[in-house]
Amino acid sequence: MTQPLLSLRNVQKHFGTVRAVDGLNLDIQENEFFALLGASGSGKTTLLRMLAGFEVPTGGEILLDGKDVSNVPPNRRPVNLMFQSYALFPHMTIAQNVAYGLEMEKCPKAEIKTRVGEMLEIIQLSHLAGRKPDQLSGGQRQRVALGRALIKRPRLLLLDEPLGALDKKLRGDMQLELKRLQHEFGITFIIVTHDQEEALVMADRVAILKDGTLLQCASPHDIYERPNSRYAADFIGVMNFMPAKVSNGRLLGAHGKPVTAQIPEGLHEGADVVVAIRPERLKVSAPQGDAAGSLPRGRVLATAYHGLDLQLHLETELCADPITVRLTAQEADQIALSQGDQLELGWDAKDTRVFAA
Amino acid sequence: MKDRKPLYLMTPALAWLTAFMVIPCLLILALAFFRRGLYGGIEYTFTLENLALVFDPLYAGIFLKSAAIAGLSALIAVIIGYAAAFAIAAAPSRRQPILLFFAVLPFWSNYLVRTYAWIVLLNREGLITGLARWLGYDAEMPRLLYTEGAVVVGLVYNYLPFVILACYAPLSRLNPEIAEASRDLGASSWTTFRRVVLPMTVPGIATGFVFVFVLSIGNFVTPALLGGGQFQMIGNLIYAQFLTANDWPFGAALSMVLIAIMMGLLTLQTFATERASGAKREES
Ligand SMILES: Nc1ncnc2c1ncn2[C@@H]1O[C@H](COP(=O)(O)OP(=O)(O)O)[C@@H](O)[C@H]1O
Ligand SMILES: [Mg+2]
Repeated sequence: MTQPLLSLRNVQKHFGTVRAVDGLNLDIQENEFFALLGASGSGKTTLLRMLAGFEVPTGGEILLDGKDVSNVPPNRRPVNLMFQSYALFPHMTIAQNVAYGLEMEKCPKAEIKTRVGEMLEIIQLSHLAGRKPDQLSGGQRQRVALGRALIKRPRLLLLDEPLGALDKKLRGDMQLELKRLQHEFGITFIIVTHDQEEALVMADRVAILKDGTLLQCASPHDIYERPNSRYAADFIGVMNFMPAKVSNGRLLGAHGKPVTAQIPEGLHEGADVVVAIRPERLKVSAPQGDAAGSLPRGRVLATAYHGLDLQLHLETELCADPITVRLTAQEADQIALSQGDQLELGWDAKDTRVFAA
Repeated sequence: MKDRKPLYLMTPALAWLTAFMVIPCLLILALAFFRRGLYGGIEYTFTLENLALVFDPLYAGIFLKSAAIAGLSALIAVIIGYAAAFAIAAAPSRRQPILLFFAVLPFWSNYLVRTYAWIVLLNREGLITGLARWLGYDAEMPRLLYTEGAVVVGLVYNYLPFVILACYAPLSRLNPEIAEASRDLGASSWTTFRRVVLPMTVPGIATGFVFVFVLSIGNFVTPALLGGGQFQMIGNLIYAQFLTANDWPFGAALSMVLIAIMMGLLTLQTFATERASGAKREES
């Protein structure tokens, strides 16, 4: 196995009594596009600031190419950080902002000129090279910040909520653009976001942080399909949670009947659990026979049309909150639906996850 | 301008300034164009002699000397004041108001009292000499009071709080991430200061410098008290024309040139501040 580019060994950062980062272990490989996902205050920025060299860990080691860099100042690390505020130099033009990092490396003048020209092409701002940052739009400023960091060709580029300040349409474009640039430059990216969709779209691997600890680290597919905790399941995408109790090796739902689920080992009799299932894994059908059938039933509260799919909100006896079902356009066409209709709800045991309540 | 209401609110202030400031000043300045009469009177015939006399080497020399002292005082005040403002802006934000309060505290005491305090310090057998003796310095002490140096010290001391406040404003508004970005891109702390922090806070420095310069060049209290009798700045000269020599037209001519210099500097400073802040946003 090759040496990881970055290894975190039990990294901690405590501010007084606040444990911003509390014992992280993580390996990141060269060329990876890695996403850190977590609610506000989960320690994402603190972790990035330690990687960039602005905070010294209160414990543990940060290994870059196998060497501990915990005490190396930011200007001596082959790591660049793109700040959440972009932190552009307001008194310099766009070209001067982009050139700054190369000037610090004492690059020859001619080389700086060509490389800045190339970078301005890449970030599509050549025509604005002489403007000051406050004469640019949010999206343009974001590209300057990116270009200013990328031109240094760092071993590791850290991006703190790079798309947070952009509107939705622009975000979509920039997500693809970032992925393209990462591929083109062959630089390892660690991107911080609180937008789970963004993390799933862009990253090779996603880590979920909660209160300074690592909850789960896996590929977007595994994070989505096999969350390892109720928090992770809730944080990523839409998830239905149904309370249940272990009874004689089966799970009994809130309606007192067995609930179809894949029961993990090690659950003791009488334990309270939740059964989690994604909206797109649920199937609905028109009720067959009488109300005493084996499948749980639900009443349609609302439908929401999203173009490619249709979301149903069903009131059931399975849980207090309405259950969300996602149907493809074809599936939806096969059953006539209107508010107040009764439907039967089914799913496969293999599509469920069971967590301690 | 779309909304004129705020302008109406300025009317009382403008009226006050016009009535009690602008008109009396203009009346005095107008005297510069008249002849001095016998026994301190004014003879109302037009002349440019008074203005010409200002540029006589004797008086032009006093202007230059005053400008040199004011410039030196402003420079020293800016260096000390900027360092202090930097330290205050770097302190934990909780403590900054307290530190600022102490920095401007001398300001709340009387100007004369503050200046007299320096006489006590710099006197032949004053506190500083006493301290040097106590530390074991036995040789003859150089003269401290009634020197140019004493005047500069007094001016710097009196106007330092202005500079601290003027420099603190842009320093405290600086987003710390901008300096961090510079470090992140490979700059040392010193380069970061020189290329990023300093240029971004030039407006504060310019304001502080011009303030001290303008207040110092026309000052007559500090040169009189700390410079002793043998030492004249332009303020003392004007003072003498009006109050002892009774040559009001020449005093007015001197004042006119002094005011022109001050206005020129203030205009320059406003212009520089606007340029440095790059605030001319092109809304698209
Ligand atoms: N300099 C600091 N001093 C004290 N507490 C801090 C400091 N920086 C961050 N924290 C605390 O650490 C926690 C994690 O913050 P942060 O890393 O900014 O989270 P995120 O970026 O995920 O929103 C928060 O509780 C925050 O208040
Ligand atoms: Mg953050």
